[in-house]
Amino acid sequence: MRELRFLSALWKANLISAMEFRATFITQSIGMMLNDAVYFIFWVIFFDRFPLVAGWDLQDVLLVYGLVAVAFGVTMYLFGNAQYVGDIISKGQLDYYLSLPRPVLLHLLASRSQVSGVGDVLFGLLTFFFAGSVTLDAFARYLLGAVCSGIIFVAFLVLVQSLAFWLGDIPALNLAATNAIITFAIYPSRLFEAGTRLLLFTLVPALLVGAVPAELVRGFDWGRTGLLVLGTTVFFLLAGGVFHLGLRRYESGSAIQTRS
Amino acid sequence: MRLSKYLAIFRIQLQNNFAYRGNLLAGIISLLIFLWIFIQLWRATYGAMGSATIAGLTLQQTLWYLMLTESIQMSKSRMSRTVSEAVKDGSIAYLLNKPYDFLLYQLSIGMADGLNRFVFNILCGGALMWLLVSPPPDLLGLPMVLVTVLLALALDFCIQALIGLAAFVSEDVTAYDWIVGKLIFIIGGMLIPIDFFPTWLQKIATALPFAYAMYGPARLFVEPSVERFASVLLGQVIWLVVLGLLLALAYRSGVRRLAVNGG
Repeated sequence: MRELRFLSALWKANLISAMEFRATFITQSIGMMLNDAVYFIFWVIFFDRFPLVAGWDLQDVLLVYGLVAVAFGVTMYLFGNAQYVGDIISKGQLDYYLSLPRPVLLHLLASRSQVSGVGDVLFGLLTFFFAGSVTLDAFARYLLGAVCSGIIFVAFLVLVQSLAFWLGDIPALNLAATNAIITFAIYPSRLFEAGTRLLLFTLVPALLVGAVPAELVRGFDWGRTGLLVLGTTVFFLLAGGVFHLGLRRYESGSAIQTRS
Repeated sequence: MRLSKYLAIFRIQLQNNFAYRGNLLAGIISLLIFLWIFIQLWRATYGAMGSATIAGLTLQQTLWYLMLTESIQMSKSRMSRTVSEAVKDGSIAYLLNKPYDFLLYQLSIGMADGLNRFVFNILCGGALMWLLVSPPPDLLGLPMVLVTVLLALALDFCIQALIGLAAFVSEDVTAYDWIVGKLIFIIGGMLIPIDFFPTWLQKIATALPFAYAMYGPARLFVEPSVERFASVLLGQVIWLVVLGLLLALAYRSGVRRLAVNGG
């Protein structure tokens, strides 16, 4: 409860800060919505010519694409530092978070909001109404799926970037890992054979971010729900564990300072 | 105008690139991931259609086409960001009194970055395709393709620099960058050959500059001919002149609006 109050205070401060640049907030939000929409034209053209590929049609791709957009957008808005963890570790900038009596990882992740995430969320929510299965029940599953997907996405980024504790920052690896999880998540899952699917459930959990929650929206199933919740829990715990293990090796950058 | 100094900048930047091997590696890994997914997607698509060719392209041609478009895409510089940052933080003002033209300086940097990445991308992407798909198309057409790729990178520079210069009038140009980027993905034929579009969309796509920055060189790569080369080259030169003029006008008008406070 205390952590939730702390998080909401951080998010409020981030929002107030974003509102200082209102024009940027609006253009980035609307721009990201348009950006997502223009990208989706690829699939419109594709399925116009090839109506069914690997058992998927346009509505299936729209559902998974929108769901990933919501998960990604929420992550980038609420935990906008997730993409910069490695950079912060390697520059010794964790000192600031370590010097305060708050959970280090949570504080670090929520200290930045990327306003373009709002556009992703709006686009994703809008697509739900065009992807079939428009019922209250399905919408609840959509939200559950997006939350799990977002948690796995953040956990994956934290896991990859925590390697910076041992290896130093590797922006190349971070970029490639982010590209991999997003790209694999938005393509029809049945394109991939068994061995690849196993990798996409474990090493790069793209199927847990895209296909599994999308299938859950199409129809409730205890197996899928269990798999999603289990995957979310495992990645959540793993990310926290690896980050705190790495924290023991952290070397201060002598950058303890307060911020106004 | 002395071009030798810009060639020197180009050469130095080419050498600088080797100091940032991590970025190069990230680009190559991402490229290979995208290509691997494309191979799965298009194999399934051709399989579902049950035909050897779609819109005149075989599966192998489609995949080699996508290898080239992805290689070009992953080679481009984020010049819009560089230019817009220079405008926003005012550093453009410090460059105005230097003995070189700001835009030609950025062009030299961008072309060096692009060319360096393109060589590695096409080597690694080509190796993956050769391994998993088929031998490459007729390599006799390669010199013609390389000329069109160079002009494609120059064309992309003009588009990106125009977006960057929009920072003279707009607080934030990131959104324009995203949207134009995605237009190149789709209308430019990066993600799907324009031949697969409905006829009405093909007409629109081929009338725009984006197709000459992507589709033109890639289509020439999989089906090289002197006629196709001449047609792509002509389109590229026309759009380079048009966008180059627009860029020069935008730059002049932007610099006139520039207000430098202090020093």
